[in-house]
Amino acid sequence: MQKVIRTAVVGLVCVLALTAWNSFYVVPEGFQAVVTQFGAPIGEPVVVAGPHLKTPFIQEVTFFDKKILIWDGDPNQIPTKDKTFVYVDVTARWRISNALVFLQAVKTEARAQTILDDVVDSTVRDMVNKNNLVEMIRSSDWIMSEGAGTRGDEEPIVMGRDKLTDVIHKTASESMVKYGIELVDVMFKRVNYIDTVQGKVFERMISERKRIAAEKRSQGEGQKAEILGKVDRELRNITSSARQEAEQIKGKADAEAARIYADAFNKDPEFYTFFKTLESYEQTIGSNTRLVVPSDSEFYRYLNALQ
Amino acid sequence: MTMQNQSQSPWGKKKGPPTPEDLIAALLKKIKDSFEGGGDEGNPSRPGGTGEAMGFGAGVAKVLSVVGALLVLNILASSFYTIAPGERGVILRLGRIQSVAEPGLNFKLPLVDSLIKVDVETVRKEEFGFRTKSPGQKTVYEKAGFKAESLVLTGDKNVIDVEWIVQYKVQDPINFLFKVKDTAQAVRDVSEKAIRRVLGNQDFDYSLQNREVIEMSMVKDLQKTLDSYESGIKIVTVKLQDVNPPEAVKPAFNEVNEADQDMKRLVNEAEENYNRVIPKAKGSAKQILEEAHGYATERVNLAKGETTRFLNILEEYKGAKDVTRRRMYLETMQKVLPKVEAVYVVDGGQPSILPLLDLGKTIPQASAKPAVSQ
Repeated sequence: MQKVIRTAVVGLVCVLALTAWNSFYVVPEGFQAVVTQFGAPIGEPVVVAGPHLKTPFIQEVTFFDKKILIWDGDPNQIPTKDKTFVYVDVTARWRISNALVFLQAVKTEARAQTILDDVVDSTVRDMVNKNNLVEMIRSSDWIMSEGAGTRGDEEPIVMGRDKLTDVIHKTASESMVKYGIELVDVMFKRVNYIDTVQGKVFERMISERKRIAAEKRSQGEGQKAEILGKVDRELRNITSSARQEAEQIKGKADAEAARIYADAFNKDPEFYTFFKTLESYEQTIGSNTRLVVPSDSEFYRYLNALQ
Repeated sequence: MTMQNQSQSPWGKKKGPPTPEDLIAALLKKIKDSFEGGGDEGNPSRPGGTGEAMGFGAGVAKVLSVVGALLVLNILASSFYTIAPGERGVILRLGRIQSVAEPGLNFKLPLVDSLIKVDVETVRKEEFGFRTKSPGQKTVYEKAGFKAESLVLTGDKNVIDVEWIVQYKVQDPINFLFKVKDTAQAVRDVSEKAIRRVLGNQDFDYSLQNREVIEMSMVKDLQKTLDSYESGIKIVTVKLQDVNPPEAVKPAFNEVNEADQDMKRLVNEAEENYNRVIPKAKGSAKQILEEAHGYATERVNLAKGETTRFLNILEEYKGAKDVTRRRMYLETMQKVLPKVEAVYVVDGGQPSILPLLDLGKTIPQASAKPAVSQ
């Protein structure tokens, strides 16, 4: 008898404890919960962390993340409006904004990712299709760089990357509301050319560099020629002005000498002629000289006289 | 048994507070004793079922009390915890944030409080375009296969190859834990977006040369986005490792560098030529001038000397004109005639001799010819 009572008491305590244990639940920080009774949701989702009460046994609690979650799109090959094929890799942050709706419409995070795949990818595809490539590269606050106009291949941007992602974000957000999902943001993680286009782009870049290289070489040649020209000019200038000055100096000296000679010889021109003639005989008549003298010349006379 | 246990401890009972081993040993002994004691009591007397049950019940109670004591001890021990420097402990009471514990020894309520430690000092790093394979004195990097990550389009629709790192740390441990799932991936995604945004706004050449500007605007961009998530992350730094043209285009870029060198070389060559020629020419010019001056001085000096001599002779000549004249004439003839090869005296009435003179021939022939013809 005692044994039976003891067993009953122990059983009762156990049942009570289990009931008490089952009548409350803990929502951890960073999570939210939806209480369901036989599958039907009861009340609003619980978003405050901590212990909460529920009807034991018949009510169940499903937990969902409250944190910002990541969605990563599949890199897609999409043609832009200007017919360039690009790989666009889009990523988005999202969170479960209405756990109740989410539970009913989506149930699991994995399914949510699939829905995001469908909605965001198609929105991105649409927007990329409708816009030129530059819209995906440059920001909305992009300003034409200095000297950009000179190349002539600058296209003005209409929207720019920021506005484009804003539009995608907005459009996709609207269709996510019914799933209890809030898109925090959508961003182009990567925008790259597809391989074949990339090859062409590289070729263009190479030709651009070759052009610059040729320009530099030619510039070098030009500068060299200029300097060599300068060398020639300066050389002629230096030499000729030196000659000019030298001639002047010589001319002055000649004039001076002439003046000195004239001053002296004017004193007796006749004697000077005689004197100079003798002197010039001495200097001009050398060993290889044959002297032809007319017999009636003064020289002959003197020669005869000497003989 | 008891003796054995005690003899194993070299300090015996002298030690004041019992060590954990002693405690466990004591407990084991107690448990053994209780079982053995029960057996001893039961075997000799055999008082019946109740006595055996009583003995068994007492044994279970003893075991339970021991387990209970152990449990309480464990719980008490676990309510004390230390937070290392550079860490923060987030205390959750029944799942809800209670407090943030600073470094040092801390206490939490047993069973209802749980602790999550967050490192807030260590700088975390994300690498883009490469991965560190084995860090060390000579760190090995893996670079292949990250082209999708590192190739970025610039504003002028060119492609640039960028490798960079982002360093960040936890600023707000609560936000870090509970606001964003997979924060590292979030940092990666936002970084890739940020660098493409910054480089998309710049031309290729500008991007190659202005790393600091890119780094600074990336930090700003990253922090802004991560703040909007309330991620609790602080960006420490963004460092661009390598900013290069893509592999396929590199040779062309090197060619530009070579052309640049060529250009400088050509200019240097020309300047070398200038330096070789012009100073020399300046020297030659000076030489010409000096020579001219020399000529001038010589000319004037000679003139002066000659005239002085002439004047001196003239002075003497004035005194005895005729004699001097004759003397001078004769002296000259004396000097001149010995040197002369031949002297032809031509009569004024016979002019026909002149054509016979072959002035172009050398002397011996010339002297022979007239002899033959005449």
